[in-house]
Amino acid sequence: MTENLTLDEVRAMALRAGLTRLTDDHLQQLLRATQKAQQWRRALPTANLTPADEPSHLFRLSGDEEL
Amino acid sequence: MSDLAYLGIAEAASLLRSKKLSSVEYTNALISRVEKYDSQLNAFLRFTPEIALEDARRAEAEIASGQWRGPLHGVPYALKDIVDYAGLPTTAHSKILADNVAAADSAVAQKLRAAGGVFMGKLSTHEFATGGPCFDLPWPPARNPWNRDHFCGGSSSGSGVATAAGFVPAAIGSDTGGSIRNPATLCGVVGMKGTYGLVSRRGVFPLAYSLDHVGPLTRSVEDNALLLDLIAGRDVLDPASAEAPAGGYAAALQGGVKGLKIGVIRHFYQRDMQGEAEMVGAIEAALEVLAGLGAQVREIETAPLDEYAACNRIILAAEAYAIHERWLQERPGDYASLTRERILAGAFISSADYINALRVRARLTRAFHALFSGIDVAITASALDPACRIDDPAELDRTYGRQARGPFNVTGSPALAVPVGFSKTGLPLGMQIVGKPFSEALLYRVGHAYERATNWLARHPVLAAG
Repeated sequence: MTENLTLDEVRAMALRAGLTRLTDDHLQQLLRATQKAQQWRRALPTANLTPADEPSHLFRLSGDEEL
Repeated sequence: MSDLAYLGIAEAASLLRSKKLSSVEYTNALISRVEKYDSQLNAFLRFTPEIALEDARRAEAEIASGQWRGPLHGVPYALKDIVDYAGLPTTAHSKILADNVAAADSAVAQKLRAAGGVFMGKLSTHEFATGGPCFDLPWPPARNPWNRDHFCGGSSSGSGVATAAGFVPAAIGSDTGGSIRNPATLCGVVGMKGTYGLVSRRGVFPLAYSLDHVGPLTRSVEDNALLLDLIAGRDVLDPASAEAPAGGYAAALQGGVKGLKIGVIRHFYQRDMQGEAEMVGAIEAALEVLAGLGAQVREIETAPLDEYAACNRIILAAEAYAIHERWLQERPGDYASLTRERILAGAFISSADYINALRVRARLTRAFHALFSGIDVAITASALDPACRIDDPAELDRTYGRQARGPFNVTGSPALAVPVGFSKTGLPLGMQIVGKPFSEALLYRVGHAYERATNWLARHPVLAAG
């Protein structure tokens, strides 16, 4: 995904994703929301992740567990 | 007897059990109060006085015959309207679910019903527990009882407002990025987001599966502990329910803070972001109170707020979009504008981004929990600003992300929001007490010690009749 999305690009992406009923105002919202998600992605500290860093699953949290 | 509107659960239970107070009389007093004031505050999305009186009459008869069920017996409570109560619609404050009648009780409703609680109704929320205060929905947003021109926090807006306004002593909310603790802080009440998996989410409309928590809002720490005692515990029908001991919170309130090691995460509100001066001052004053009670207070560091925020937001947006995709494809115009924009943020998050956020989450969680080898609890800000005006979209947008609650949805840690005073304009201020997994009893102990050393609990908003 390009970092500087245009409204036309977002419109095309929306159609491919089945978001066919979005109005022009909704597409402007989708553009802003997608840009915000790109900011979050840039802020995510992934540089130091190694292949051994597995996704978290908190379903087994325990008070005594050494995390 | 105290003013019935501000009677705590513990005091009410004692009066009801000893028959010095009738549940019907108590319930009628709160019904009258809601009828008089809620048109100005919009805490209730669906007010159910007929159910409340039926519950109250049943409770009164049971207590009279010696069948006292416990501290909530005959005591009014209400549920955020994403929490199922059999036979009533769970709307999530949305046109999309306007006719969604719950076939069965949620796990929490089941427990509160079994405890003999008096059900007063369903409370306002931000639509689908996200977004913010919206004026383009079938129901108006809740307003802050301390000043109705101001935001009351969310998404458990009605839960914060109803407890602060003296409509109910107990309310249930949910918290995915801070939605119990935000209204607790901005309305001047107590809110607990327990450890992930401590309270069942069964029958609660999801926002983001791996971040969602259900928990209590009350006016006092003791009442909060009593309510968590009733709703915490393993539920085999909730896939995220924890296999861990639960309960005993109210029984463990005493003991004080003498000798406890408190770590202050000051960089959240003084370096990563600069908290508003009165908010920061009130938190620092609270730390002095705790130090004066004998706690050992020292500063600690964790990852910067923006790392936690990015992790929280990517996971939340991706999981929420998965839930809402079909409706966004079929009826996008039925969402409030603000909600639609929030949920659309997940439309193009890649699988790699989502998995990487989960991988970062594992690291953040390990590192955060490791801090507790040297401290007992941590304290930090909740909101970084007092409540802004509800009719100021720019200020609502600016302050939306200025909070330090999301980190503990990422880590699954228990976090308790407690009031720490008021701004010069009379708006509530608050802090968070955070712990390692399943340390809720210790958080309550610290909060209770602080609450007893201060007098914030005695202050109530002055309401205007509609």
